[in-house]
Amino acid sequence: MYASSLVMVKVLRYSVSPSRKVALDKRIREHDDMDMIPSSSRRLLVSGLGAVLVLFIVGPLLRLLAESSSTGLIESLHDRELRESITLTVVTAGIATLLAAVLGIPLAYLLARVSFPGRRVVQGLVDLPVVVPHPVAGIALLLFLGRRSAVGSVLGRLGLEFVSHVPGIVAAMLFVSAPILVSAAREAFRGVDPQLERVARTLGDSGWSAFRRVTLPLAGRGILAGSILAWARSVSEFGSVVILTYNPKVASIYIFDRFTAFGLSAAIPPAIILLLVALTVFILVQVLQPKDRR
Amino acid sequence: MIRLEDLHVRVGAFDLSGISLEVPQGGYALIIGPTGSGKTTLLEAIAGHARLEKGRVFMHGDDVTALPPERRGLGFVYQQYHLFPHLSVRDNIGYGIARGRSSNGQVRDRIHELADLLAITPLLDRSVRGLSGGEQQRVALARALAPKPSILLLDEPFAAVDPSTRQILRRELRDLHQREGITTLQVTHDFDEALRLGDLVAVLSEGRIAQSGTPEQVFRYPNSAFVARFVGSGNVIAGTVERSSPGEARPFPAKFRSESLLLDVVAEREGPSHAIIRPEDIVLSLTPHSDSARNHMEARVVRLERAGPVTLVQLDIGRPLMASVTTASAEEMQLRIGAVVMIAFKATAILLV
Repeated sequence: MYASSLVMVKVLRYSVSPSRKVALDKRIREHDDMDMIPSSSRRLLVSGLGAVLVLFIVGPLLRLLAESSSTGLIESLHDRELRESITLTVVTAGIATLLAAVLGIPLAYLLARVSFPGRRVVQGLVDLPVVVPHPVAGIALLLFLGRRSAVGSVLGRLGLEFVSHVPGIVAAMLFVSAPILVSAAREAFRGVDPQLERVARTLGDSGWSAFRRVTLPLAGRGILAGSILAWARSVSEFGSVVILTYNPKVASIYIFDRFTAFGLSAAIPPAIILLLVALTVFILVQVLQPKDRR
Repeated sequence: MIRLEDLHVRVGAFDLSGISLEVPQGGYALIIGPTGSGKTTLLEAIAGHARLEKGRVFMHGDDVTALPPERRGLGFVYQQYHLFPHLSVRDNIGYGIARGRSSNGQVRDRIHELADLLAITPLLDRSVRGLSGGEQQRVALARALAPKPSILLLDEPFAAVDPSTRQILRRELRDLHQREGITTLQVTHDFDEALRLGDLVAVLSEGRIAQSGTPEQVFRYPNSAFVARFVGSGNVIAGTVERSSPGEARPFPAKFRSESLLLDVVAEREGPSHAIIRPEDIVLSLTPHSDSARNHMEARVVRLERAGPVTLVQLDIGRPLMASVTTASAEEMQLRIGAVVMIAFKATAILLV
C-alpha cells in the first residue's frame, strides 16, 4: 500500500505546475501521507486511474524480475543456444537499424524540409507498417521475397536467401521498425530551424556541409533516440519473423520455443535476459531524449 | 559594390519585380518599406537563397547571379540572429573561418579581434542560449564579419533590441562600417534609421522600388503619396490640379482642388495629384496675413504635442492638417486646444506628386 501511494505521488508530480512540483518533490522526500497533499478530488481521481495503469505495467515486469534469483540466470547464460539466439537478435536488429538509417534518414529529411507532390502519400506509406498486424506483414514478406516471387528469385540468384535464412529476419525487422526511425528522424529535422542552414551557407558552407555541421548535430540526439527505439522494436519482433525464418531462432522465438516445448520455467531465464536488454535500451533513450521533450 | 539589374523574384504568391539598385563600393544603403513589401525577400535574393525569375546580381562588377550563397563572399545578419544553438559564442563567431586547413592561430586571433571590437570577450565561452537580444546581435554581427566579407547584408538588425541598446549598436555599426569599408545593405521599416545611417535609401512598396536616392532627397522630395506618407514627409492631400490661365509654359501657376479646399500651387502637369505640405512650411499667426501670394485660411487647434524645441500642432481646416512651430512661438501665441488661428503657406512650398 505504501509503495502504491508513492507511485501515485509520482504520477501527480508529472501533472502539476513547476511550483507545485517543488512542493510535491519535498513531500515525496518526506514520505508524507497522501491526505496531507491539498488537492481537488478530480486530481485524485485522475492520479488514481493513472496509478492503476502504471501498476499494471510495472507489476508483471517486477514479478518476472523477481524470478531471477531462483532460476540461475548465470547458468542459463552458459546455454550455447540462448547465447547464439541473443547474439543473432542483437546483430540482425543492428543490421536492420543500419539499413533503416541509411535508407530512411535522407527520406526523413526530404519529408521534413521539401514540399513535393505526394509528400503526404509517401509519409503515409512509410507509416503503414505500424497498422499492419505483424503476422500479416510476415505473410506479405513471404510472398514478396519467397523463392517463387519475382523479387525473391532475382535476389536468390544473387545469393540472398530470405525464407528460413538470416536475411529474412533482417527483412522482417526492417519492415516493422523503419517507420519508427523515419518518423523520429523526420520530427528531429522538423525541430531544426531551416534558416540555420541558410546562415551556414552565407558563412561559406556548401549545402552538404551546412547539413553536416548544423542540422545533423542539432537533430542527432533525436535521430539516435529513434534509431535505438527502432533497434529495440526489431529485437522484440516476433510475429513477422516467425513466419519468415523460424530457424535460426531470434531471442523472442527462442523464448516461445522453450515455453511450448519445456514449459514456463524454461522460458523465464531467456525472458529475463531479453527484458534486461530492453531496459538498458529504454534507459539509453531516456538519457538521449532532448531535454525539452522529456 | 552591389548592382541589381531588373530583379524579378517570386516566393509563393509574392512577387518582387523590376528591382534595380546600385550601392557604391563602401556605401551604406537602406531598404525601407512596410511589413510585407518584400524587403527580406530582396536580401535573400541578393544572398542567393531565392531563385531569380529574371535579372542579374553583380558584386564588385562580377556577375554572381549563378553562384550559390557560399561563393558570394557576403555576410548576412538575420533579424532573429539565428545563432547556432549547439555551439558556444566562440564557435559561432568562428563558424565561417574554422574550416578545413585554416590555421588555428589565425582563427583564434580573428575571433578575439572581433570579440574585442564588439565588447563580447567575456561571453566567448558561454553557450548562446540565454544571451540577451543585444548580446545575440553582437555575436551574429561578429559571426558575419569573421570571414571578412566585402558585402554585409543586415535584416532589421535592431528590431529585437531595446531602444537604448539600439542607439549604441547603431553608432557602433556606423563606426564599424567606416573602419572596415564594407559595402552594406540594411533592411529596416524605420525611416529614422535611414536618416541616421544611410548614404542611399530605397523605398520598397509591394515588391517594387517606389523611390531611391539620398535619405534627404527622399524625405524632402517624395515622388509619390505612398513615399511621402511612409517617410513622414508631411501632410498628404489627394486632389486635382487645374491650370489657372491657358498656356503651355511649365511650371505654371495653378489651382489645387480637393473637395472644399482650394490652394494656389505651382504645377508641372494637370490632373489628379497629391499635394504634400511639410508641417514646418505652415506659418501660424493670430491675425490675418495681408500677403496675397500665400495660401491662407482659418484653422482650429485640435491637439498640441510638444517635442522639445518643436511643437506639433494638429489643426482642423475641414480636414486634418499637421503644422509645426517652435515651442517658443507656441508659448508666445498662447496656443491652446480649441483656439482658432490663421495659417499660411507659400504656393511654392506645396510639392505636387
